[in-house]
Amino acid sequence: MKISRRSFLHHAAAAAVSMPKPLRAEVARQRVVGLDYGLSSTLLSLGLPPVGISDLADWDKWVVEPAMPQSVVDIGSSHEVDFEVLIQLKPDIILTTPYLDELLPRLQPIAKILRLEIFTPDTGPILPAAIAATRKLAAELGHEAEAEPFLARSDAFFERCRRRLAGRTVPPVVLVSFMDARHARVYSAPGLFHNALERIGVRNAWTRQSNYWGFDTIGIEELSVITDPNARLIAFDPVPPDVLPKLVDSPLWQALPFSRPGHLSVVPPALMFGMVNEAVRFAGLVTDVLEQDA
Amino acid sequence: MKAIRRENLGPALVSLVLLCAGCMAFWLLVGPTLSESAGQGNDIQRMVLYYSTLPRLTTALLAGAALALSGALFQQVLRNPLADPTTLGVSAGANLALVVVSLFIPDLLGAGRDIVALLGSAAAAAIVVGFGARRGFSPYSLVLSGLVLSLWCGGLSAILTYLNQRYLASLFIWGAGSLAQQSWVIPLSLIWKMGTVAIVCALVIRPLSLLDLGESSSAALGVRLARLRIVVVACAVALAAFVTSAVGVIGFIGLVAPTLARLSGARRPVQLIFWSPLIGAGLLFLADSVLQLAAGGFGDFLPTGAVTAIFGSPLLLALLPRLKIRHRIQQAAARRRPPAWNTKVPVTIAAASVLVLVIVALFVGRGPGGSWTVLSGEFLDDILAIRAPKVFAALASGAMLAVAGSILQRLTGNEMASPEVLGISAGATFGVAVALFAIAPGFSGQFAFAVGGAISVLTVILLSSRRSTFAPERVLLAGIALSAMVDAIVGVLSSTGDPRAVLLMRWMSGSTYLVDGPIATAEAAIAAALIAVALAARRWLDILPLGPAPSAAVGIPLARSRLALFGLAGLMTAAATLTVGPLSFVGLMGPHLAREAGLTRALPQMIGAALIGAGLMVAADFVGRTIVAPYQIPAGLVSALIGAPCLMFLLSRRR
Repeated sequence: MKISRRSFLHHAAAAAVSMPKPLRAEVARQRVVGLDYGLSSTLLSLGLPPVGISDLADWDKWVVEPAMPQSVVDIGSSHEVDFEVLIQLKPDIILTTPYLDELLPRLQPIAKILRLEIFTPDTGPILPAAIAATRKLAAELGHEAEAEPFLARSDAFFERCRRRLAGRTVPPVVLVSFMDARHARVYSAPGLFHNALERIGVRNAWTRQSNYWGFDTIGIEELSVITDPNARLIAFDPVPPDVLPKLVDSPLWQALPFSRPGHLSVVPPALMFGMVNEAVRFAGLVTDVLEQDA
Repeated sequence: MKAIRRENLGPALVSLVLLCAGCMAFWLLVGPTLSESAGQGNDIQRMVLYYSTLPRLTTALLAGAALALSGALFQQVLRNPLADPTTLGVSAGANLALVVVSLFIPDLLGAGRDIVALLGSAAAAAIVVGFGARRGFSPYSLVLSGLVLSLWCGGLSAILTYLNQRYLASLFIWGAGSLAQQSWVIPLSLIWKMGTVAIVCALVIRPLSLLDLGESSSAALGVRLARLRIVVVACAVALAAFVTSAVGVIGFIGLVAPTLARLSGARRPVQLIFWSPLIGAGLLFLADSVLQLAAGGFGDFLPTGAVTAIFGSPLLLALLPRLKIRHRIQQAAARRRPPAWNTKVPVTIAAASVLVLVIVALFVGRGPGGSWTVLSGEFLDDILAIRAPKVFAALASGAMLAVAGSILQRLTGNEMASPEVLGISAGATFGVAVALFAIAPGFSGQFAFAVGGAISVLTVILLSSRRSTFAPERVLLAGIALSAMVDAIVGVLSSTGDPRAVLLMRWMSGSTYLVDGPIATAEAAIAAALIAVALAARRWLDILPLGPAPSAAVGIPLARSRLALFGLAGLMTAAATLTVGPLSFVGLMGPHLAREAGLTRALPQMIGAALIGAGLMVAADFVGRTIVAPYQIPAGLVSALIGAPCLMFLLSRRR
């Protein structure tokens, strides 16, 4: 079943290459630059690979899938776009988020700006906002024809995950990234991961609302508020190498449900500040883990 | 005997009040858990109490005591009321070691975060002590080389953190000093380490007391100065390193606890060394208990070290007027060798280098894909329009910071003085922080807030030090307290993982990134005007360092001239900070390098410093923009990496 997520995200990347000819001709005229991982990966799924994106160097570390084509140029950190490189790329459209507003006056003379709001204090649940932003982005780029099939594909993927887990006794899960041996980030409402969990019918054991990006930084002892003995802990890579050995030594950790064998899984990295593709990757990773031992 | 008892009363009272308040907060914290879970047996609540809450509070007591003792030892042996465990680069060294190891050899972290941090602190301390040994452990050279090294380590780890923000989020937390615990491992290991050091301290306390008599008198009484200093410094470094490696940077306690002890009446070294740890323990205990109570209410993650600094620095500010002051004549003066050349030679060399640097910075760069290119052809105008403002803003602010640094160092007679120490840049940064988080304005809005912050800090400093006729130590302490507070606030923001913290961090690390044409023009005009004023004040700057009496004797209005010069330095710092962030390094390096080059009188020193500062900044900006292109390293961080080793080299060469 692992193949389904792979093939989904592979499809996203391949869409750009295997497009009908007339469409490609039009693409050649639209040179898009993405300043946000989520927007950039959505571009791939809309069949419009960017000419340049920010933070390309770390793409394989945090986003992983879908893979960026070789032709894409790195234009530096999103907060410090290298304007010299950007100008030489001659973009038509630049995609930004509210976090990059201070760059707007400098970006506007270079190309048309498309500013999409997903992570804002008033957004609420992130996944619906990401879907709406995908539609808006496609409309602005004239790629509506690709948006609906893409969203339908992703919805079908979520549905498939839900059905894979539906017949089993699925434990509630806690989603964390370990910062060090004493601290972690925990993901909850209204974040992207939480929404994806809801969509595939898995309960989030961490019930406290987080900040509007969808995570909270906690001391690991705070995990003790989770009383359900069946709760599963899913940690995202990279886990600092000293975390797990240190936790084993802690009597407090030993008293938590996650210290028992099979209640802690480490999964490959997934991007929390993402959009639909990242939610799909996340859902696939979690479903794989829960299916394995449910 | 009576006198001694009376002197002990104050510190005892202070420690008692702090510890009692801490206990009250602690009781509010654990009381509910204790009564609630008394009936039930194996409750998770109880596990949290035994293996998280109690170890955490024990760690707070121990860490507070250790840091305060370390601070007291440093202040005693370095004869410098501003010294604290961070002055010798201990925490910066530990931080750098952790950053490097987690980036390049993460497997080593499995062997133990403590060991890595401890090695880093030890290496930093060894380098500083090595430099100190060449100069007979004079307090001045120890503090100066410690400070330079910590700036360098801090700069390098900031660059690494900056380029790998996502991966190193844990280091923000560590850097901000969180006391959260999940077992007794850390407090238990702290106990025996501290015990060992405490025994050594007890052995050297008598000779240490004799240091108050002055170097020659104590040597005459049979104190072996060099050996004593090594032992005491080693103790203090070890204490700070143990705490830092265990729980991260909680630096402020080491500065504030000995100060509190002194202010509440502790006079003798024995009293200081006995009471400081108690006060420190009480301080951190109280702070952490209150913090946990508050965190329960807010449900937010707050690192204790950062929060103690937020609350601790205003306390220090409030206490400043009571601090005993003594005026210091510039100590290095006697040791300085006479200039080997005419002052024109170094100035000409510096000016020519600046010119070459500007041309290179304007025309050399990296293209898409990373190839090195000399600017020409299609994009010439567009790219020059991007580069030129950065280059000239760097030039102007480097010059201003260096001149401001010269003025501050001459005025205060303290080699540690630099624009950042004055707190002006901290104020500007704080203004930007408020702007970013409260109303999220555009670029011009951030500017307005930065100016507001800088000017209000300047006003506070001038008002609060008015009564003391701007005594150097008071102004410096006020500035340090403010800087610590801003650092702490940024630390808190960063460790919560708020993406806006990245913006603030860039601003703080001194990037010319957002500078455009109009800003650069304004900057250059301001720089020209202010530097001209500074050069005109050269007579004051030549005479004021000689001390209040000679200055008054030749008819200089003491208070008014100091006010004017501090104001000038403040304005220059604010203007420079606004465009290129709080770049303290250039303000420290420029004047020092100028003096090392033989420019000792006010006028040549300021001209030389301005040229050196400008050149450093232009070079730093160029390197930062190109070396890892398309990613950019802030000029402020790079200038520290270029400037600090340079200064260390010159210091070690000098006899």
